[in-house]
Amino acid sequence: MKGRLMIVDDEEPIIFSVHDYFTEHGWEVDCAREIEEAEALAGVNEYDVVITDLHLTGIHGSEGLELVSYLRARGGAKVIVFTAYSTPEVERVALERGAHAFLQKNTPISHIAQMITFLTRSDE
Amino acid sequence: MTLLDILLRPGALTSMFQPIVRLRGAAAVPYAYECLTRGPAGTNLERPEVLFEYVRRKGAENVVDRACISAALRSAPLSSARARLSFNVHASTIGYDRELPHFLLKELELARIDPRGIILEIVEHSAAAGQTPPLRARIAELRRHGIAIALDDIGLGQSNYRMMLEVEPDYFKVDRHFVAGSHADPRRCAVIASLAQLARDLGGAVIGEGIEDDRDLAPLTRCGVELFQGFLFGRPFPMTDAATVRPLAEERS
Repeated sequence: MKGRLMIVDDEEPIIFSVHDYFTEHGWEVDCAREIEEAEALAGVNEYDVVITDLHLTGIHGSEGLELVSYLRARGGAKVIVFTAYSTPEVERVALERGAHAFLQKNTPISHIAQMITFLTRSDE
Repeated sequence: MTLLDILLRPGALTSMFQPIVRLRGAAAVPYAYECLTRGPAGTNLERPEVLFEYVRRKGAENVVDRACISAALRSAPLSSARARLSFNVHASTIGYDRELPHFLLKELELARIDPRGIILEIVEHSAAAGQTPPLRARIAELRRHGIAIALDDIGLGQSNYRMMLEVEPDYFKVDRHFVAGSHADPRRCAVIASLAQLARDLGGAVIGEGIEDDRDLAPLTRCGVELFQGFLFGRPFPMTDAATVRPLAEERS
């Protein structure tokens, strides 16, 4: 097992594609569609990587960045923001809050995987 | 539809029951059954620790506590269980839900269960220190109908002692953190003895939680503890039939 990964997104196609890809490549993958669900999972599990959108149903703006702050406060996990709604300001704040990477939603999954390989190898 | 909407649908919650026992020689006799809830199967909330953390973050303790009680009372013919039933309720629910006593009594009436056989176990009470007046009033109302009160996680958290004085619990549940391994740890024994004495001084009984090793019974029994809960005496099970309220002497043999 390569590690434990959580995908946080309310779009089912994203959830399924990320889950299936990383499961096939040896990761244990949890899926969360709400911020509270993601925080609850992060509260009981140790994740190596968390891939998260910032805009989920019912939240918007800076609320999504609260999850990034929470995950970084919990320690350990590499946090990748994966969003369709990016501006330089949002990216700057996300990285200030502790995100390790900021990717656009049209980034191929294989590129996300390469980013994860880079981020997790930097700990070795 | 959110996960909260899903878990509040009828049938979404699964109720499990774990025995609390009293020892009678070599036999363990069921004294009560604690109701433990599992979230919707196939979701992240199926695990109770995730379920209740999610509920806490949603600020939905009140509505979910009610749903858990309703689900438990409708899941089995509990009226013939011949043992007390214990339900977990957040301190915030008792403090803020003015209609909780009415709701609970109504549900018990529908299930044909005597309120005098019910224990309400107050959980997550460290954050409830500021709600003392409503808590007291609500608990007094519940007690007028014969419902007993238990305080969970004794020995943990910041506001334990204050809550003990304000709530005056009938049962003090000593957390597994102190019980597990106490047979080999004099410090844990000292804490258990202290908590047991405190409970006696405040007029309550102690329930030792998380007992998986029967060597951990001795530190508790030496302190006069008579009620026990843990995998040693039975794992949580679905009470699908009153016959499943099995004599615990069988489980210990």
